[in-house]
Amino acid sequence: MNDISRSIPKLDSVPKAFGNERYVNDIRYENALYAKTLRSPHAKARILRRRYPELPAGYHIIDHTHVPGENVVNIIADDQPVFAADRVTYYQEPILLVIGPDKRVVLKLMKDIHIEYDIEVPQFEWTDSVVHYHFTKGNLAKVKEQADKVIRREYHSGYQEQLYIEPQGMIGYHDGKQVILEGSLQCPYYVKNALIRTLNCADDYVRVRQATVGGAFGGKEEFPSLIACQLAVAIEVIRKPIRLIYEREEDVESTTKRHPSHITMTAYVKDNEILGIQSEVGLDGGANIGLSGVVLSRALIATTGVYTIDHLDVTGDVYRTNTVPNGAFRGFGAPQMLFAVEMFMHHVAAELKVDALAFRQRYLAKQGDHTSTGGTFRDPIIMPEMLSRVLDESDYLNKRERYASPDSHRGIGMSWVLHGCGFTGSGEATHIKARVKLHKRTTDEVEILIAAVDMGQGVKTTMTKLVATILDVPMSQVIYDNPDTNFVPDSGPTVASRTMMIVGGLVARAARRLRDEWNAGEDQWIEERYVQPDYIKWDETTFHGDAYPAYSWGINIVEVEVDPATYEVTVLETWNIYDVGKAIDEQVILGQADGGQLQGLGLGYLEVMNHKQGVIQQRNVTDYIISTSVDTPPMHNYLMDNPYPLGPYGAKGAGELTLVGGAPAVALAIEQAIGKEIHEIPVTPERIMELMNDE
Amino acid sequence: MNDITFELNHEQVTITADPSLRLLDVLRDRLHLTGAKEGCGEGECGACSVLINDQLANSCLVPLANVHKQRVTTIEGIATTKEGKLLQQAYSKEGAVQCGICTPGMMMASYALLKKHPHPTREQIQIGLSGNLCRCTGYNMIFRAIERAAKEGEGTW
Amino acid sequence: MVKHIIPNSLKEALDYMDGHYTTIVAGGTDLMVQRRNWAELPPTFTSDPVYVFHLSELNYVNEDDKNVYIGAVTPMSVLLDHPATPQLLKDAIAIIAAPGLRNMATIAGNIGNASPAGDSLPILYALDALVRIQSKSQNSLLPIAQVIQGPRKTILDNNELITEIVIPKDPFTFQMFRKVGGRKADAISKVSFTGSVRIEGKHVTDLRIAFGAVAPTVVRVRDIEMEYEGKTVKQLQQQVKSLQEAYATYIRPIDDQRSNKEYRMNVAMNLLEQFISSLKEE
Repeated sequence: MNDISRSIPKLDSVPKAFGNERYVNDIRYENALYAKTLRSPHAKARILRRRYPELPAGYHIIDHTHVPGENVVNIIADDQPVFAADRVTYYQEPILLVIGPDKRVVLKLMKDIHIEYDIEVPQFEWTDSVVHYHFTKGNLAKVKEQADKVIRREYHSGYQEQLYIEPQGMIGYHDGKQVILEGSLQCPYYVKNALIRTLNCADDYVRVRQATVGGAFGGKEEFPSLIACQLAVAIEVIRKPIRLIYEREEDVESTTKRHPSHITMTAYVKDNEILGIQSEVGLDGGANIGLSGVVLSRALIATTGVYTIDHLDVTGDVYRTNTVPNGAFRGFGAPQMLFAVEMFMHHVAAELKVDALAFRQRYLAKQGDHTSTGGTFRDPIIMPEMLSRVLDESDYLNKRERYASPDSHRGIGMSWVLHGCGFTGSGEATHIKARVKLHKRTTDEVEILIAAVDMGQGVKTTMTKLVATILDVPMSQVIYDNPDTNFVPDSGPTVASRTMMIVGGLVARAARRLRDEWNAGEDQWIEERYVQPDYIKWDETTFHGDAYPAYSWGINIVEVEVDPATYEVTVLETWNIYDVGKAIDEQVILGQADGGQLQGLGLGYLEVMNHKQGVIQQRNVTDYIISTSVDTPPMHNYLMDNPYPLGPYGAKGAGELTLVGGAPAVALAIEQAIGKEIHEIPVTPERIMELMNDE
Repeated sequence: MNDITFELNHEQVTITADPSLRLLDVLRDRLHLTGAKEGCGEGECGACSVLINDQLANSCLVPLANVHKQRVTTIEGIATTKEGKLLQQAYSKEGAVQCGICTPGMMMASYALLKKHPHPTREQIQIGLSGNLCRCTGYNMIFRAIERAAKEGEGTW
Repeated sequence: MVKHIIPNSLKEALDYMDGHYTTIVAGGTDLMVQRRNWAELPPTFTSDPVYVFHLSELNYVNEDDKNVYIGAVTPMSVLLDHPATPQLLKDAIAIIAAPGLRNMATIAGNIGNASPAGDSLPILYALDALVRIQSKSQNSLLPIAQVIQGPRKTILDNNELITEIVIPKDPFTFQMFRKVGGRKADAISKVSFTGSVRIEGKHVTDLRIAFGAVAPTVVRVRDIEMEYEGKTVKQLQQQVKSLQEAYATYIRPIDDQRSNKEYRMNVAMNLLEQFISSLKEE
């Protein structure tokens, strides 16, 4: 048998390259109506009165009064209404839809709607904590007394916009039996469950189909449920096909982003040894909590990054502000925390005047060590081998020495990261309860029935390859269509680097069973359900135990040059090495490595987004800067095999791992190039100027 | 309403329409050629790229009037050519396609680039694609795809 | 309802413009964004669009001993590849937007829009470019600085069209253009610097400096330039601080979503210093 990692061409690359693939905006229903969202012009206000214009025949205004069930979008916290009813809590919050056959008339009607507001004072300071977590490891109070030195730093990170190139969109219709929606989404069952609650309907009354997704990165995890609920309410009332496609500015201004963070880290040190660390983490949740609590958990659990520290005191808060709600974005809280901890370890080493590399090596976690939550790193940790390989490839040590002089205007930085694979804590066992099915038709073709979405990460190819390899049949004999909730079981959302490890694990198990029970020419069904390995114990209230079944590991090395006249950063080259267990397709993982890193670098030095009085200032692709082809450096990526016993062929999570180390690596490189400590990302030229001029 | 006549993928078409309509909308909405995508609506992302008289253009910025009596080529027109297939194969082999929303535009930019520079340097490739944003791939595999298409299509470009 | 005019010649365009309210549409790269509507709806025009991009009589680059002549609808990409285009202008065009956009964008469009961040404008100011403006009955040639009156404001009357840009071929010893945007391509300027000198022996005999995106229009100050012309390279380099101070009063940058005042001022001054310090005696 071939090594499963050996790359094959992606199954969908031909139709995608030639423009034949159907994205939501490419799907046309006959006589479809157009929907446009009327939004709040205020960050916080009470809605006093609404005056709607008289509607011409065929035109509709759909608002909260039309919602048959609960006016809430089922996410995690129940605080996002489908349509704002009596109050708005952020700028651009959706209030109603205007729907009709002619876009010109729809726009005219939008102008004729008058809503009277009682404007209230919005909250932008981070004071209203709506989620608060606290956990400890060891006994920090005790080691505080022994410390001979206390080192404290504060770190800040800003918004990051997913900026999938395909804006959000959903279209749908009623076929007489069901409300059917097609959209650009990551989680068909999140959407379906939200629809059932909003429509207050039977399980089989709604059907959600995934249209080919033009990029997601977490931005299409929970947000599509909102527009799906709005559209479903409209379809339920109007009973005609309707399109709701966002324009870019609307998307950027009103959809979820990465949470800005403030993180304070305090190290208690004795004889140049860290005895313990206190972390205080604050995230800006925006106007709604949504899934911010889960983002916070992941951030907190990553508090010591790849290091083993025996005594910890960790607190975290999500603050509610009258700004656009923040949500899922590749990395899910970990990028902010890993930025802080990687910078902090360097800053502590610098303050102790010891070599940062040797200092960090002392704390690098080893197999059997206790995690930040007192769980166990059960599987082999091969970071030392990875380190030695990537140090060689990058010539890091020599460059680090050479660039020590500020006149070089160059720097090289190295981050070490891990990423917990799958849902945090017991989510997989208690909330998701994934189910997968394989269906062998009488033609002996095998259908993979799962709710996992290919959003570019290649899961269609890798999942098909996995099944074909196990069954030892040609790829063409295995079918994996875009998920449709009428046919696929709920294998969980396409998030959290769980798709290959968890869903793929179940699919592989089903495929092995099918292989063993194979009856040529017979219609066969195989179902598998997730069962948590019994050695994994997690206490959600105390944050104690194994937060994740497995961890992926990575090292990023980034070399930069800073222009002393313009303070612009050029990323010259990067070297990266990853332990993802086993790559189900090498090229697919390397593609994740390239793309994830560019987003991680963007978070670190390029992508600036901020709000003024709750209004996002960079509302289009001109002003929100992501890397172009000219900004992208040559990237050298290396993969290590370190199979995880419970993953298919040993696979662990990969998608998020490649992003999380980019920001600290580039920030550390810039730090060396300018000879100043960096505490805030993105490290823009404006910030570099301030640091360099601040003698 | 005016009659606008142009050559589209080697066929003559006449459209009676408002001449200020964006070429992108005419292609997608009127002619059902949905290979060109709208990513930003302001000429920054390149997902809507087409060729006008063999030159790369952002169809979201082109008023229909500007293609009157001109020659327009879209990804659907490139798909059937030898060069288009070469590029597609190179994209596949190098893993240059992820979510795919930027890919048709990227293919158009690659095509225009190789027509201008049959043996492009890495820098020429980077500049040639600089108006086509991709959020998935980190671009490196696209660079390699173009280098492969240049090599395997030696003499074609 | 507006009327759409697709003229067959310059004359037809000028004839129509005489007596109608019109909007000139060239490559569309700026206008189509400004007038953009909900997708699939036509852009919003309140006066009759006159489409001129296809007029071949306005698409040329010519030169004689004294000048380079650029037809108003010549795409930037053509200028980039044309041997007669002044190098400084090529340097600027090479980092305006990206190839697809450069195939449609024109420098007449940059002038007509008079955007403070229009990247070809500082070059045209520095090179003393002249702009030919035609109407049905008039034909005049005006310095660029007179044509542009403020942000998005020009001297053009409703019946007037920019038809040509004339760039004198002055001899320069050293030139520098530097654009600072949010990224390395496909970006809008936060600040740009253009410098051009003629050095004869030890002396600077012609000094031109222009800053982009740091004031409502391009900053070029002839008075300052004249004060320093005639000095030696060494003197100029010794007096760079006072030169910077002189420009500082003209540079009035703003804070916006792309950058801030302090940065724009600082970088403008750094680039000025870099330019002056890189000058060498002949």
